[in-house]
Amino acid sequence: MTDPAGTPIPIGSMVPLTGPASNDGQEFRNGLSLAAEEINANGGILGRPVRPIFVDSGEQTAPEIMHAIRTLIGEHRVHAVINGYNIGAQNSEYEVVADAGIIYIHHNTLLQHHDTVMSDPERYFGCFMGDPAEYWYGQGFIKFLSWLRDSGQWRPRNRKIAIVSGPKPYSIVIANAMASASPQFGWDLTFRPRILRGVPQDWRPLLEEVRAHDPAVLANTHYHASDLARFQLQFTERPLPVLLYLQYGALHRSFSSIVGEKGRGAIVGTVIGLPRDELGQSFAARYKARYGENSTPEVGCQPYSSLHHYAVAASVAGGTEGPGGAARNRRIARVLMDLPFRSVVGTIRYHPKWQSAVPYPDATQDPSLGMPHLFYQLQDPDAPPALVAPTPFADARFELPPWLV
Amino acid sequence: MADAALAAFAALGHGLALWSADGLLVTGNPAFHRRFDCFGGEVPAGTAQTGLLEAAERSGLLVRSTPAQGAPETLLEARHMLGGRTLIFSDGMVARVESWPAADGLVVTLFADVTEAKRSERLLEKARDAAAAADQSKSRFLRAANHDLRQPLASLKILIYSCMAAESEEQRQETLHAMDVSVAIMEELLGALLNIGQLDAGKVEPNVQTFQLSTVFDRLRVQFEHQAREKGLDIRIVGSRAAVESDRVLLERVLSNFVANAIRYTETGRVLIGCRRRGQMLRLEVHDSGPGIPDELRKKVFEEFYRIGDRQQDRRHSLGLGLNISQRLAEMLGHEITLRSAVGRGSCFAIDVPVGDVWHSHIGEPEINERIGGEFAGLSCLIMEDDAHLREALIRLLERWGIVVTTIEDFTRVEEAVADLDPQPDIIITDYRLRGGVQGTDLVNQVNDLLNMPCPAIVVTADTSPELIAGIRAQGFPVLIKPVSPPGLRVIMHNMLFEPELVPELT
Repeated sequence: MTDPAGTPIPIGSMVPLTGPASNDGQEFRNGLSLAAEEINANGGILGRPVRPIFVDSGEQTAPEIMHAIRTLIGEHRVHAVINGYNIGAQNSEYEVVADAGIIYIHHNTLLQHHDTVMSDPERYFGCFMGDPAEYWYGQGFIKFLSWLRDSGQWRPRNRKIAIVSGPKPYSIVIANAMASASPQFGWDLTFRPRILRGVPQDWRPLLEEVRAHDPAVLANTHYHASDLARFQLQFTERPLPVLLYLQYGALHRSFSSIVGEKGRGAIVGTVIGLPRDELGQSFAARYKARYGENSTPEVGCQPYSSLHHYAVAASVAGGTEGPGGAARNRRIARVLMDLPFRSVVGTIRYHPKWQSAVPYPDATQDPSLGMPHLFYQLQDPDAPPALVAPTPFADARFELPPWLV
Repeated sequence: MADAALAAFAALGHGLALWSADGLLVTGNPAFHRRFDCFGGEVPAGTAQTGLLEAAERSGLLVRSTPAQGAPETLLEARHMLGGRTLIFSDGMVARVESWPAADGLVVTLFADVTEAKRSERLLEKARDAAAAADQSKSRFLRAANHDLRQPLASLKILIYSCMAAESEEQRQETLHAMDVSVAIMEELLGALLNIGQLDAGKVEPNVQTFQLSTVFDRLRVQFEHQAREKGLDIRIVGSRAAVESDRVLLERVLSNFVANAIRYTETGRVLIGCRRRGQMLRLEVHDSGPGIPDELRKKVFEEFYRIGDRQQDRRHSLGLGLNISQRLAEMLGHEITLRSAVGRGSCFAIDVPVGDVWHSHIGEPEINERIGGEFAGLSCLIMEDDAHLREALIRLLERWGIVVTTIEDFTRVEEAVADLDPQPDIIITDYRLRGGVQGTDLVNQVNDLLNMPCPAIVVTADTSPELIAGIRAQGFPVLIKPVSPPGLRVIMHNMLFEPELVPELT
C-alpha cells in the first residue's frame, strides 16, 4: 500500500542522546535534520517531505539498540533508518531490519558488517554501512607510517612498533589489522597488540612498559576522547621518542580542550571525515550557521551525506515504502549500490559484496571512487587539526612532534 | 562496338597501356595515368618503358620493381621490359604487369592490382611459419619431455619393485622417500613445460598492481631455505620494505627460477637475494658463489633447453627452461633482466622493476572479512556438542569469524582428548546435556583442570526451564538458549574474552 502524495516519509534514526557518546549523538541528529530540511526545501522525495524521527540509543548496548529499532519500525513504521554510529549491538538490529524489509544506513565502522551481510546478501539487502570498516584504519595507518618514512618526512629510529588496544571490538580489530599489515611494510611488532581489559585511569605503568621495548611508533586504538586526553597528558609528562597515533576520539573538540598545547604532534585518523574542499567547506559553513560556531560538522556530516544519498536513490527507484515493502526497498538498495554519490564526505561508493563505503587510498587508487581515509596531525590547539594525508585532500604538511625535535 | 571497347578501356580500374613495337607509349587509360602521376600530368606519349620506370623511381613513387624470374634480357624484351614485373608503389599498392602482343606489332600492358592477394599471401606465409615453429617447438618439447621424464620414470619403476620387495620397514621408508623425490622431479619438469606452453599459447595475462616486495621475498624464503640448507649452502634474503609495481605471481616465478638455478649450480658457499634502488627502479638481485658463466654463454643460457655442461648427475636436474621462461615473463612485464658473472667466482641474475607508491600497495588479501581481521581472528575455541548438525553449524560460524575450532566428541576419554588439543583453547562452548548423561558444566570443569591455562566457558541448552538456567549461571557460566543467535554469541564471547566485568556470571 502506497501512502498518498505529499504525506511525510518517516525516517528513523538511533542516536546516542544520553550516555558517553551524547556529544556525537547531538551532531548526528543535527546532520540528519539539516539534510532533511535541504531535501524538503527542494521538494522532498518525489514530492513527499521526509520526517526524521529520533530515538535515544543511550549507551548503545544491544538491548537499547533493539528497543530503539523496534520502536522505529513497529510504532513509527519508518521507511528507512539512517544514523551515525551505535557500537555494541553486534548487528542484532539487522534481524529486525531484514524482517521488515526496509533500508538501514549506519556509520558503525565495523568489520562485522561485512560478515553479516555476506553471510546472507539476500536477507540483508537493505543493510548498508555508509563508511568503511574499522579494519582499514589499521592497514591505512601502516601505509601512512611507511609513506612518512619512505618520503623522508620522518626517520624512524628503528623498525619497532608498539600497539595498545582498548577493550572494544572496534579497537581490537584496528590493532589486529595494524599488526597483520606491519611486517609487509617493514615494521616489527614489539609485542602482540596489548588488548586492555578495561581502560586504565593511570596509563603510566603501561607507558613505562612500552618504553622498555624502545619502539619508534606507538599506536593507541582506544577511541574515547576523555580517556585519550588522560593518556596524552600522562604521555607528555615524560614523552617516549615515538611517533604517536591516537584513534578517532582525539579529533574531538573535548580532547583538544583538555590537552591544549600538549596534544601537538599526535597523529589521528578517520575513515569518514570532512575534507576541506569546496563541498566540505560549504557544508561546514551551512552547518555552523544553523547549529552555532561550537557545533561539529565533522561528525554531523555522516548521516547528512547518507540521507541525501538515500533521497536520490529513492527518487530514482520511484519512491519509498515502509515495513513490508521489500520489493520497492530492494529497488532503492540496488540504486544505492549502482549510483556512487559525491557527498560532502567524499564519494560514497558501496562495495558490491560488503555493502559498505570503499575507502581511498586503502582500497581504491582513485580518489573519485572512494571515501578518503583522512590523516590529521594535531598542531595548533586553537586551529582545526592539520590534514596531512592523503593527496589530493591534504592541506598541510607533517611536522615532527615537539618531543622528537 | 569500338565505342563500347573504348568506354571499357577508359573505365577499367587497372592501368592499361598500349606501346609501339619500339616500346614507346602510344596511349594509356585514366587508371594508368593516375598510377604514374609523376609527370606533372598524363604520361607523355612516346615515353619508353625504361623511362617510365626510371621517372617513377626517381620521384619516389615506385619503391621496388622486380623482373619476372629467369627472363632473358633480349633486345626486344629490353624495349618491352615491363612484362612480368611486380611493381611495389610507395602507397603500398602492388601491381603485376601482364603484357601481350596486339595487332600491327603493338603491345598491350595491364598493371593488375594484386595488393590484397599479396597481403593474404604474406599473412598465410606468416601463419604457416608460426605453425611450423609451433610444430617444431612441440616436437622439441616432446623430445625433451621424452628424454627428461624418462629418467625419473625409469627410477620410479625400479623403486616401485624395490618397495614391493622391501624386507624391512626402514628399507621401505627409504624407497618411498626416493620415490617422492622422483615424483617431485617429474612435477617440476611438467610444471616448466606447462609454463612454456601457456606462454606460447599467449595465455599468460599479467595482472600488474602495487605490492610490498617483502611478500615475494617471504615466499622465496619458505620455498628455498630448506633446499639450500640441505645442500649445505648459506642462503640469505635481505628484507626490503619497498613497494613495487609488477605482477606478484609472475615476478615470483622469475625470481624462483633465478634462485632455483643458483642453488642447483652452486656446490659451496652461498646464495644471496636482495635489492638496490636505482632512481625510480628497484633492481632485484640473486647472487651465487657458483662456477660462473663464461662471456660467450651469457646469451645462450637464456635459450630454450640450454644447460651449461652435463649435469645429469644433479638430483634435481633441469630442462634448461627456467631462464628462458624468466626472460619471456620479464619481456611481457616490461622488466629488464641483467646477468653479471665471473668464472670461478659466481653469478648475479637481476631484474629491474618500477618502484610503486606505498599508498597503493595491495596487501594480497582477496577479501576483507572477519576471517582475516575480526576481533576473534586467531583465537581458539573448544566445542563440545554431540549433535553433529549443530556442531557443524557452530564450527562454520566461528571459522567465519577467524576462530580456530577444536572439538571433543568422545566424552569418555577426556584426558587424552585434552592432551591432543592443538591449539589450547581460549574459550569453550559446551552443550549442557551431552551423550551418556554427561553434563556440560562438569565436562568444562574436568577440561579446565587438565588445561595449562583454564579458560572461560559458555553453556548452550535447549532447555528453557528457569531453575536449570539459574543453576548453570550460579556455577559461573553464562547461558545461551538454542538456537544460538550469532549476535548474542558474539556479544557474550567478546565480553568473556575482553571485558569480563560485563559478564554477571563471572563477577
